[in-house]
Amino acid sequence: MSEIKTFLALFDEIDPAVAAIDRLREQGVKDDQMNVISGIPLTDHILGRPRIWSNVPRLALGGAVAGMLFGIFLAAGITNLYPLKIGGQGLVNGAPTVVLLFEMTMLGLLASTFIGVFLDSTFPSYRPKEYIADISDGKIAILYSIQEEKVSEVENMLNSLGAQSITPSERQPL
Amino acid sequence: MVATAEPLKQAHTVGAEDPHEHLMLDPKPRGEMNGMVMDAMHTTSWKFWVVAVFLGLIVLTCLLISWGYLIAEGLGVAGVNRPSFWGIFLVNTVYWIGISHAGTFVSALLRVMKAEFRRPFTRAAELMTTFGLIQAGFSIFMHMGRVWLAYWLFPYPNVRTLWPNFHSPLGWDFLAINTYLMASTMYLFLPLIPDLAMARDRSTGWRKVFYRILSLGFRGTEGEWTHLRTGMTIFAWAIIPVMFSVHTIVAWDFAAATRPGWSSTIFGPYFVIGALQSGIAAVGMVVVLIRATMKNMKYFIRPEHLDALGKLMLIVSMIWAYFFFNDYLVQWYGGDKFTQMLLEFHEKGPMGWMWFGMLICNVAIPFLTLWNKKIRRNPSMLFTIGLLINVGMWFERYIIIPVSLTINRMPFTWKLYFPRIEILLSIGTLAFFVLIYMIASRLIPLVPVWEVQEGQLAHGLRKVGKAEVKTVSEIE
Amino acid sequence: MGTQSATTSVYKWGMVIDQDLCIGCQACVTACVMENNISFVGEADAGYGRTMHWIRIERFWEGAYPDVKNTPFQPVLCQHCEHAPCEPVCPVFAAVHSLSQKTNLQVYNRCVGTRYCANNCPYQVRVFNWSDFSRPEPLSNMLHPDVTVRRRGVMEKCTFCLQRLLQAEDKASSDGRQLADGEVITACAQACPTNAIVFGRIDDPTSQVSHLAADGRAVHLLEDLGTLPSITYLKGGPSYGRNG
Repeated sequence: MSEIKTFLALFDEIDPAVAAIDRLREQGVKDDQMNVISGIPLTDHILGRPRIWSNVPRLALGGAVAGMLFGIFLAAGITNLYPLKIGGQGLVNGAPTVVLLFEMTMLGLLASTFIGVFLDSTFPSYRPKEYIADISDGKIAILYSIQEEKVSEVENMLNSLGAQSITPSERQPL
Repeated sequence: MVATAEPLKQAHTVGAEDPHEHLMLDPKPRGEMNGMVMDAMHTTSWKFWVVAVFLGLIVLTCLLISWGYLIAEGLGVAGVNRPSFWGIFLVNTVYWIGISHAGTFVSALLRVMKAEFRRPFTRAAELMTTFGLIQAGFSIFMHMGRVWLAYWLFPYPNVRTLWPNFHSPLGWDFLAINTYLMASTMYLFLPLIPDLAMARDRSTGWRKVFYRILSLGFRGTEGEWTHLRTGMTIFAWAIIPVMFSVHTIVAWDFAAATRPGWSSTIFGPYFVIGALQSGIAAVGMVVVLIRATMKNMKYFIRPEHLDALGKLMLIVSMIWAYFFFNDYLVQWYGGDKFTQMLLEFHEKGPMGWMWFGMLICNVAIPFLTLWNKKIRRNPSMLFTIGLLINVGMWFERYIIIPVSLTINRMPFTWKLYFPRIEILLSIGTLAFFVLIYMIASRLIPLVPVWEVQEGQLAHGLRKVGKAEVKTVSEIE
Repeated sequence: MGTQSATTSVYKWGMVIDQDLCIGCQACVTACVMENNISFVGEADAGYGRTMHWIRIERFWEGAYPDVKNTPFQPVLCQHCEHAPCEPVCPVFAAVHSLSQKTNLQVYNRCVGTRYCANNCPYQVRVFNWSDFSRPEPLSNMLHPDVTVRRRGVMEKCTFCLQRLLQAEDKASSDGRQLADGEVITACAQACPTNAIVFGRIDDPTSQVSHLAADGRAVHLLEDLGTLPSITYLKGGPSYGRNG
């Protein structure tokens, strides 16, 4: 079993990067051994990569339900637990309840979306990571792991496609 | 102008605009744009410090010291009385919440409607939301008689088994404004993360530590972008109804009351449009100021953006005029005698000049000027018109609150309102808004460069017949 | 202030004010101020609409001097509405409705001073403590010990002399009987020289208040708003008994 080495190949344009991904796949690099890091969002359609599932929508929905339950508690729960007679109005009224439910549902939805993004991306994380500062200058980086014997062959292939640089990746603090 | 090689990138048709005039068709390498934005953030002239110190002094005297005096002495030092129990503090609250709607409009509504011109200034607008809501919060706290007990509006279990009253529009206000404040701050932060990562990569020293912590370890992996974009999409769609609901609930503070002139069913949408009007005008002002005072911003913010904002200002002004007339006509025609007296007091009373000023600034001036492309594209003209619209909208809220409160159903109590310390405190909140905005411009990249690059990637020129037309692809 | 326990009797207190008898002497205003520890705001604030009187005498007249006819006086105080508009709008439940006295309560300790209740009161009877007003010696000696002294930032209004009501109710329940008509009376009713203000139980059909409220001259202030006030006014002037 030869050693697996990880490299970071940097590309300027989208098309060469996408071609590189295809060729890497032909070389036997599996999809989960590759990661594409870019300065602008590139969808899986553009890159030809497998669909990435996000928990954010489900968490958002859960948060919305939690918000609605809290709204019901505020509108009906506390008024029934600790009733105070005011203004000749009933304890729980339809229209004000709608207002409360709406606001609390939206708060739950949005807060859980935000937290969901953090959870899914494991933010914040300050441990060392594979990265090159050029990526935020709009470059596209392909992080791939390959067996030692194929290293130079893949490197030549990527260079012929127009890779700007291919560096062995190390985990560095960002 | 390149004469050969790629004819599709050239403009040559007679009478067409130079496509390079458009930011989206004038791409620069991302590295260069990043450098420009970082440069704009770091380059601080002595003029900045002069203005900042001046504003700091105003904040110290007109906000901090005056507010401390107000809390210590009580609301007697303000101008509120019977029957105008609410005065300029509430006017300012409604005004600042209105300003804050601008940010959400630009970053959410325009994103959802795929209006590409929003790209360079969505963050500048979204900053206005958070900072505007802070001023609104200050103004609400200023108007409270016992502000040190303000936490009683928060629902928390306590031994006295007392909870806030959610029958009250102020209770709904509390929930809505807090929801909106949290949501818009989160929505400001999410698209900011990639730009903070860019700033982290290009900074040294304390700035690098600052950006490293705030960028949360963002790299730009497929997973991170997917989650971020999913989150941003949910936010963009969901924050729009929140935005509408917030100012509607603020409007219901007045509409749910029994006062003549206040108990009007149109207040909900009327206030929302009023918020958009003052907000978009304020975005115009801020954008012109950024363009004029910060380095490199003339590349990002171009006359086309001022043009688009000017058109929006005109359209919203027309909608505002519709709602105002709707409110006025119905009250004039079928209103009871107190409402009729109120309308007469508005127009012919001692504050009649303010009522006319409101109509001139909100309706006449936009109608007479903003149809003209040259005026819209001229920064100082757009700034002036935006300023006048803001003044007009402040007048509108002054008319609705203290002036309308003067006329009620018990004529024995009618007494005109005169502001006292509210004037200083208003100046203080305005100075604080500008000051924290200026500080933010030194710490936060004001242009979302990744969104600009994304837009430039999606835009191209295509030949249709003899014309060169702009095309936009949906790469999102 | 008084717990709403199930064992106390439930009374409904109300008032009748006869505008034909009111001479505008302001004795009720003074008595209320003395009874309820109301602050003196000074001339400047009083001229700016910041008087703190819980009851005010409104003066109207028809015609111009010297042909002035008909100067009815209208004492206006908290109407203790059954559907009080001030109650639902307080964000902290400082304005609530008493279950046992059926009056409108203002809870000073709970008020945070948003003044929405005052804006929503169609009768404009609520007053606000704009500052901490001073009571230099020996004025502080006149303070009624059963009534809270309110500090700045708190809303207040007529309570139908709740301290008197509670004392009387306590005495009656410890004696094991109901309150008799006329046993408890508000300060304003007590001070009125012409008996224009009559206070009593409007849930008791035999009380004097109930009899007077059934008069042909009886009206409610701003009746069309549907606030169901507990105070009935008997219209004065030369046209009483008809729509005047």
